[in-house]
Amino acid sequence: MLKILIPTLMLIPTTWLTPKSWVWTTTTAQSLAIALLSLTWLKWTSETGWSTSGPYMATDPLSTPLLVLTCWLLPLMILASQNHISPEPINRQRSYITLLILLQTFLIMAFGATEIIMFYIMFEATLIPTLIIITRWGNQTERLNAGTYFLFYTLAGSLPLLVALLMTQKDMGTLSMLIIQHTKPTNLLSWGDKIWWVGCLLAFLVKMPLYGVHLWLPKAHVEAPIAGSMVLAAVLLKLGGYGMMRITIMLDPLTKELAYPFIILALWGIIMTGSICLRQTDLKSLIAYSSVSHMGLVAGGILIQTPWGFTGAIILMIAHGLVSSALFCLANTNYERTHSRTLLLTRGLQMILPLMATWWFIANLANLALPPLPNLMGELAIITSLFSWSPWTIVSTGLGTLITAGYSLYMFLMTQRGPTPLHTISLHPSHTREHLLMAMHLIPVLLLVLKPELMWGVCH
Amino acid sequence: WYLAWMGLEINTMAIIPLMAQQHHPRATEATTKYFLTQATAAAMILFASTMNAWTMGDWNINQISHPLATTTVTLALALKIGLAPMHFWLPEVLQGLNLTTGLVLSTWQKLAPFALILQISQNTNPALLTTLGVMSALVGGWGGLNQTQLRKLLAYSSIAHLGWMIIILQFMPALTLLNLTIYITMTSTMFLSLKIMASTKINSLALAWPKTPTLTTLIMLSLLSLGGLPPLTGFMPKWLILQELTKQDLPITATIMAMSALLSLFFYLR
Repeated sequence: MLKILIPTLMLIPTTWLTPKSWVWTTTTAQSLAIALLSLTWLKWTSETGWSTSGPYMATDPLSTPLLVLTCWLLPLMILASQNHISPEPINRQRSYITLLILLQTFLIMAFGATEIIMFYIMFEATLIPTLIIITRWGNQTERLNAGTYFLFYTLAGSLPLLVALLMTQKDMGTLSMLIIQHTKPTNLLSWGDKIWWVGCLLAFLVKMPLYGVHLWLPKAHVEAPIAGSMVLAAVLLKLGGYGMMRITIMLDPLTKELAYPFIILALWGIIMTGSICLRQTDLKSLIAYSSVSHMGLVAGGILIQTPWGFTGAIILMIAHGLVSSALFCLANTNYERTHSRTLLLTRGLQMILPLMATWWFIANLANLALPPLPNLMGELAIITSLFSWSPWTIVSTGLGTLITAGYSLYMFLMTQRGPTPLHTISLHPSHTREHLLMAMHLIPVLLLVLKPELMWGVCH
Repeated sequence: WYLAWMGLEINTMAIIPLMAQQHHPRATEATTKYFLTQATAAAMILFASTMNAWTMGDWNINQISHPLATTTVTLALALKIGLAPMHFWLPEVLQGLNLTTGLVLSTWQKLAPFALILQISQNTNPALLTTLGVMSALVGGWGGLNQTQLRKLLAYSSIAHLGWMIIILQFMPALTLLNLTIYITMTSTMFLSLKIMASTKINSLALAWPKTPTLTTLIMLSLLSLGGLPPLTGFMPKWLILQELTKQDLPITATIMAMSALLSLFFYLR
């Protein structure tokens, strides 16, 4: 674990000490080296499931795919931000990169944490750099509002979590994940225990986000700069899912009845947010709502607590992370050229930017869960396990899949086909950097088709 | 107790001329209010200690055991430091002072009453302390929401932090001391930075970014720390206090305190 943490922290002196023209190159190269190094974590050798352990941090088949995703995204974030930051003075560019690196460090420590309190502190700690990125480098005046929404929604959910964790520590004597997976069952019957159960889960449900408490997500995504959107969509939402998966180990047997309202909210949310996507005019907002929709499926999969549900959840999380981030990058390429996110103004790009149209095509196909891509694997696993839990869920999940296909195709057709408006004829051609960015996003998705065991080591 | 009372009186006397230095009507008004409240509190302390001596025959500070005496002395000390519901003087007094004197008022002046509070901590009424603490945290949070004057904002933040300190007093006085130390450090940072930028309203803070970017970053970080966000140091006392509260089977209190921290965070964030 230290092999990865220390180079990441050392990226900070790297950004501040390299000469001005080499900053972006060196940071991208170093973060790429760290990402490749993190791939070594994918080899699980230990029997207990926890390998690479230190005193407070370890990796296991649940956290490793998410860790690799996080490390992989850092060079991509730096690549993506290069263009829109370049007009700023060099010190501000350096502080932007430093913020991204700090966020990365906190995320690595969060996913690698074995003590749940350490996970909690890192969970909260990721909020601060994200808040600063959104409010300082966002693009519209509403970003202050968005930042406040983001911070307060998440904190209001996570403070009860802190109290609940402290209560657990009092009762069980420890909060180490290694030990908790062996101590069971707890006798949870009274009303106070039910509130404790809600307290444990609420933070992660807000972060996921669940349909009822999802209002912060579209605001935050729309106002954030590209790297902020990428990391938000890809990793921060997965923190919520990861936390839920870890916490549900100690929440049985209450979860059988208490989870009903949340599962219902999740399923209903898939349909509702999907429908909102069909009527959106703002491209980034569309992608944000599609994130909520996919995360609703993940939440449903985790809350029913079956092995296939968990597996489907984690596959969908990884696949969605990569694909959502890719879609945000694509939206950003449009934004950098036209400075507008309105769908109507960026139509008909296939004529002008044909290679980018290929990336749009692949990303949208992945979003609507085309076989054999891992998005489908995840969705299928979750839908199957939901069906076996209760046959009626097929109504909402099936409808949800249909609507997802609908809005993904809508997004593709609106941006690529159709008449090209006259004002977009003189756009800059696509940079190699952008193509590299998209390739690095989508090639892992395609590769994961060949070896999905990397992702679902948890339950098989 | 007699010497303690004398010490508190001399303290009050000494700070009065410092506060009245600025010959501004608001400063004079603030000085008068401060003098009246502190004198009342000191008189109540004297009264309570005499009552204890009369009924129990004991002048020792940490032997105060008559329940009426302990309640009175707790309320008097709460008035001295500005805990709710005896907090009404603090925002107005702080507003009338310049930033340096305000700094002294918020930090140094709290040390003496806290020394007394720590010494009487074993004998106090738990329900009273919990009420004072929770009310202070909530009042500090809600009261600061509508403020634009920075000194009043810091006054309400002081009330909220004092609430946190008091609530843990009955279980682990060491945590009260820790919280006090960290609070003094953070508030001193805030006051000194505001003095460097010579700003007293939120609007003037907005112009600070071009002038001194480093200092503005520092102010932002210390504000977030005052709000108690991990991983900044300000989180540590809150975390430990919540831990102690839950250990003592008071999760509801802990949740209320945590939620009121959110209120304070909102006005720090502006």
